[in-house]
Amino acid sequence: MQSLVARSALARSAARVPTRSFASSAARFQATPTEKPVLTKEFKIYRWNPDEPAKKPTLQSYTIDLNQTGPMILDALIKIKNEIDPTLTFRRSCREGICGSCAMNINGQNTLACLCRIDRDASKDTKIYPLPHMYIVKDLVPDLTLFYKQYKSIEPYLQNDNPPEGREYLQSQDDRRKLDGMYECILCACCSTSCPSYWWNQDVYLGPATLMAAYRWIADSRDTYKAQRKEKLQNEMSLYRCHTIFNCARTCPKGLNPAQAIAKLKLELAAD
Amino acid sequence: MSSALVARSLVNQRVATALVHKSFRPLALQVRKSHSDTVYVPGGPIYKGTVNDPTTFPPPNRSHGSYHWAFERLLSAALVPMTAAAFVTSGSSYPVLDGILGISLVVHSHLGFDSIVVDYLHPRKFPVIGPASTWTLRALTVATLVGVYQFNTNDIGLTELIAKVWHA
Amino acid sequence: MISARALGLAPALRQAVVASKSSRGLVLRSVVATRGVQTQSLPPSAAEKILNEQRLKRPSSPHFTIYQPQLTWIGSIANRVTGAGLSALLYGYAMAYLVAPETFASANVIELVASMPEAVKIAGKTILAAPFAYHSWNGLRHLGWDMTKFITLKGAYSSGYAVLGATAVTTVALVLM
Repeated sequence: MQSLVARSALARSAARVPTRSFASSAARFQATPTEKPVLTKEFKIYRWNPDEPAKKPTLQSYTIDLNQTGPMILDALIKIKNEIDPTLTFRRSCREGICGSCAMNINGQNTLACLCRIDRDASKDTKIYPLPHMYIVKDLVPDLTLFYKQYKSIEPYLQNDNPPEGREYLQSQDDRRKLDGMYECILCACCSTSCPSYWWNQDVYLGPATLMAAYRWIADSRDTYKAQRKEKLQNEMSLYRCHTIFNCARTCPKGLNPAQAIAKLKLELAAD
Repeated sequence: MSSALVARSLVNQRVATALVHKSFRPLALQVRKSHSDTVYVPGGPIYKGTVNDPTTFPPPNRSHGSYHWAFERLLSAALVPMTAAAFVTSGSSYPVLDGILGISLVVHSHLGFDSIVVDYLHPRKFPVIGPASTWTLRALTVATLVGVYQFNTNDIGLTELIAKVWHA
Repeated sequence: MISARALGLAPALRQAVVASKSSRGLVLRSVVATRGVQTQSLPPSAAEKILNEQRLKRPSSPHFTIYQPQLTWIGSIANRVTGAGLSALLYGYAMAYLVAPETFASANVIELVASMPEAVKIAGKTILAAPFAYHSWNGLRHLGWDMTKFITLKGAYSSGYAVLGATAVTTVALVLM
């Protein structure tokens, strides 16, 4: 919708400028960008500085011109850091939704800043918080140590005591298809930190990302440690704190469905 | 939900008090491990082991795991035809159905309350309130079961009561 | 600034600033040979203690107060609240009957309800019927999910709206019953 509006605005501005001939001067080319109207938008960003730990976390307001900014929230953050406040701290790397570094809570939803478009409605501000219910290292940087320790606990690698001799593991196309929608997870922690069960019990409940990773190996036809993997989850906390709330699938920036993986996992455990 | 919020704010306080307690302990105990000056508190910002150690799992127990889950689902599913039957029959003409429905509802409620306690007041975070609420819940459930039995045997029974109150 | 950028002068200006800064730094460094900062030698084992001291100061980021209200988790907490409310009523009445069977005998309860004005009866019925309807329909939705039926984002939303619709219809039907 917004992009549509933006596009029609573009078309209108293009119509105003008479058709550009090949002979048009370089000066006119360079002048066009500054003709864009100023579209200021307010960003309210969570700030906390470990050097002043006694100061409570606050929302700091930044106003930037959207017409001088890239289309994504990450572009806005980088612009603010470059031009307004170099102390603003956030993680980012690939800027194309494959590294999972820039996961944060934007306008109340966990997502990757690099995949989240800026709302062009300048009358509304955009609120940016770190991932919910996490200990904050600084500003938008949460401590993900526990998340990684939990991922490690489910042994996220192929385990097989009888590897085929002299050739690679073979897998039917149907068996391979069972891993689709799970292996794509980039461990950005958007889903786990959107899950109320994970908020209240994250030291013992594994959370959607780790549980989907666990099922990814249980569902793999080449893995022979399924029984041991399942046995680990046979307790009150690790898996069964999931109440199918569905925030995980709702928020996943990669469009994956941890809720489905966990439902299959519960069903398989019950069938044992 | 609010209790969990309180828990979170309490955690840091508890870490702080735990630290104080620790510092009053005899020196010999403190030397045990050089880096254990800071105490592990469940849900706190300090983790067990180094960043490279995986988290551990509670001991496996199917009655807390898949059996519990399956029982909960089967009971919920069984409530569907029972509730439908209670709508079309009367409790006084089918007292056995009424009794089973009463017990099932209480057990279903108990499981629901219990998962609330586990979610928001787990003993590892609330060493006093946690077990206290678990046992209080158990006592209340037993009392409720007795109450439902008394009501269904000495009075008109739950289904009939609801129907009559509804049309009163 | 804008004019400088338009003229393409910004890089040149920046370079000039950087050059002057670094040359000043060079001069300073050669004048002040020793650093004013005191350092302290620590064994590698001290790292964890320092990190843990830092960790204890970290705030916990806000959660349900800032999370967008969505059908997913609002529907889920509603399921718990409605279930807990109805169960509390069951527990309360059963235990009250156990303690005082005379006072809470069915005849007394029915008489009390019958004596109430019509508006109170309808309000009371609505307050009971709506949570019952929601918890029942949403319970069926959960049973479906547990059998991996409609466990997609689309399925979750369409079934969620279906539950809300069914709850409204059932509540009205039950109150009129």
